[in-house]
Amino acid sequence: METVRFYGSRLVGMIGVLLVLAFMVFCLQRFTPADPVRVKLGANAQPQIVKAERHRLGYDDPLPVQYFNYIKGIVHGDLQDSLRTRHPVTTDLGNTLPATLELTTFALVIALILALILGIASAARVRGAGALRVVLVAGSSAPVFLLALLGILLFYRKLHWLPSTGRTKYLDAPTGPTRFLTIDSLIHGRFDVFKDALQHLILPGLCIAIGPAVSIGRVLRSSIVTNLRSDYVRTARAKGMREWAVLWKHTVRNSLGAALSMTGLQVGLMFAGVVVIESIFAWPGIGFYTVQAIPRLDFPAIAGVTLFLGAAYVIINTAVEVLQGVADPRLRV
Amino acid sequence: MAVAEPFTVALPKLRGRNRPQFEMLRRVGWLDRVALAAFVVVTLIAIFAKVLAPHSASATPGDPFLAPGHGGFLLGTDDVGRDIFSRVLLGIQSTWLASLLVIGSGVLFGGLIGLVAGATGGWVDAVLMRLTDTFLALPGPVLAITIVAALGPSLWHTLIAVMIVWWPLYSRIVRGEVRALATRPHMEAARLAGAGRLRLMFRHLLPGAVPSTLVAASLDVSALVITLSSLSFLGLGAPAPAPELGAMSARGINYLIEFWWVPVIPALAVFFVAVVANLAGDGARDLIGDR
Repeated sequence: METVRFYGSRLVGMIGVLLVLAFMVFCLQRFTPADPVRVKLGANAQPQIVKAERHRLGYDDPLPVQYFNYIKGIVHGDLQDSLRTRHPVTTDLGNTLPATLELTTFALVIALILALILGIASAARVRGAGALRVVLVAGSSAPVFLLALLGILLFYRKLHWLPSTGRTKYLDAPTGPTRFLTIDSLIHGRFDVFKDALQHLILPGLCIAIGPAVSIGRVLRSSIVTNLRSDYVRTARAKGMREWAVLWKHTVRNSLGAALSMTGLQVGLMFAGVVVIESIFAWPGIGFYTVQAIPRLDFPAIAGVTLFLGAAYVIINTAVEVLQGVADPRLRV
Repeated sequence: MAVAEPFTVALPKLRGRNRPQFEMLRRVGWLDRVALAAFVVVTLIAIFAKVLAPHSASATPGDPFLAPGHGGFLLGTDDVGRDIFSRVLLGIQSTWLASLLVIGSGVLFGGLIGLVAGATGGWVDAVLMRLTDTFLALPGPVLAITIVAALGPSLWHTLIAVMIVWWPLYSRIVRGEVRALATRPHMEAARLAGAGRLRLMFRHLLPGAVPSTLVAASLDVSALVITLSSLSFLGLGAPAPAPELGAMSARGINYLIEFWWVPVIPALAVFFVAVVANLAGDGARDLIGDR
């Protein structure tokens, strides 16, 4: 019963937050200075045509009706049409999403690896951890576009190790079935494409990963340090366990909870970083799509991206909370 | 929203009888002093940027693409021959003052909500905190992008957008502190002395929440500097000729390979300001006390 209530309350909370998100986007859309009908038809359209189009799109309904229809549309996967590409925003998102997912997944993996190294090394006072920490903390104070610029200068212009734009240099790169270039190329046995795709991923992925890595690493470090003072660690040491085993088997495991919730929170910051990074590296994902939409006042596109990213963020954080509740029933309050 | 999580600058730790009496002063190491001084210096630069800048933001005193140090331009010139040094100073001005403004509004608005929620309790507390949690559960930077995009790009719209997403953290902090204080004996004494509700709130509860709010706010400045300059980088700040660090960097990115200083120096300025804010935040935490 307790468990059902825990999951139920989280689910209700999540739906509530999503409705508020949709409400905010809806309000913004109503109050944007750019009239969507005007933008769509052009400034010189005749008044009757504008009026007819306004009626067709339902812009002359009362606001509560519009909101209800808006939510209904979202639930049915209708995010309206982009004013720039003239396609449904859902279609555009479907086309651009795999590239972004591949990039963020890659960045998240790098971030977690860096965070583990940073957290454990600095908690255990490994030699060289201090220097690593300085580098990473400096990296986290840097805006992502500085990291990207310096990365391009060093690895592209100076060393010629890594490419600076796009996902791949191959025009005949495989496009199915997962639309993750790294995975698809392996499925098709194109190891040249795989290597190339990986090279294209490294620089943008690293730029996005550093900020979250430091934040997660700090939380991990402080909870490891706290846990190292606990009784079970003293017991483990007293029975003659090696220090590394104490650290890895007991302390790190018990410290992952806090780091996990920090990871969930950092995903939101990563989304913002992704938009900037995609615009610099011309990465054909939803960030690049957003950046192209901004100067054209393509609000449906921006709203669609926000709804999608916001929903992803809320769902990920709810999932993290539920996972923590599963791992540690004490947290189910 | 960037939650500034604690990390401590290595400081000498004295325990037991050796602990100095004026612990607070001793705990502030030289790094903290330098950082707090730098914070003041950056603020002064921001205030007097117009006086310090040798050229105006739109003047084109030199040839295009002069390298740093050439032709009397400390940080070189950009694609139309404007002085990058002057533009960076003015860019620091707008970023820094904007960050402090947003923090101020976040502290005021969030603090007020937290204070009312914590001091009143009951359903008011429940409603206000549910609202706060809802905002905390949304990705702030992404939401800010949408708000600016809807209002149309301008510096004020960016500020409004970030202000809308930047208060829930403070509301949580103040509410937590106030709830903890509400059960303390001095509240009972004040109530017995006949203090009214407002007096209880502002004289007996609010001061207790000030230190931790200040610490959180000072640790938050660097996150805000980075967020604001990222929005400006995406074209969501003041329109083109305005000297904004993010926008300058974005405009200069086409010249990155040949004339690296055009996009890199404004980005480095953001980095410099963010580091100063970060270190000063740590300093403020050590000064006020780790809570």
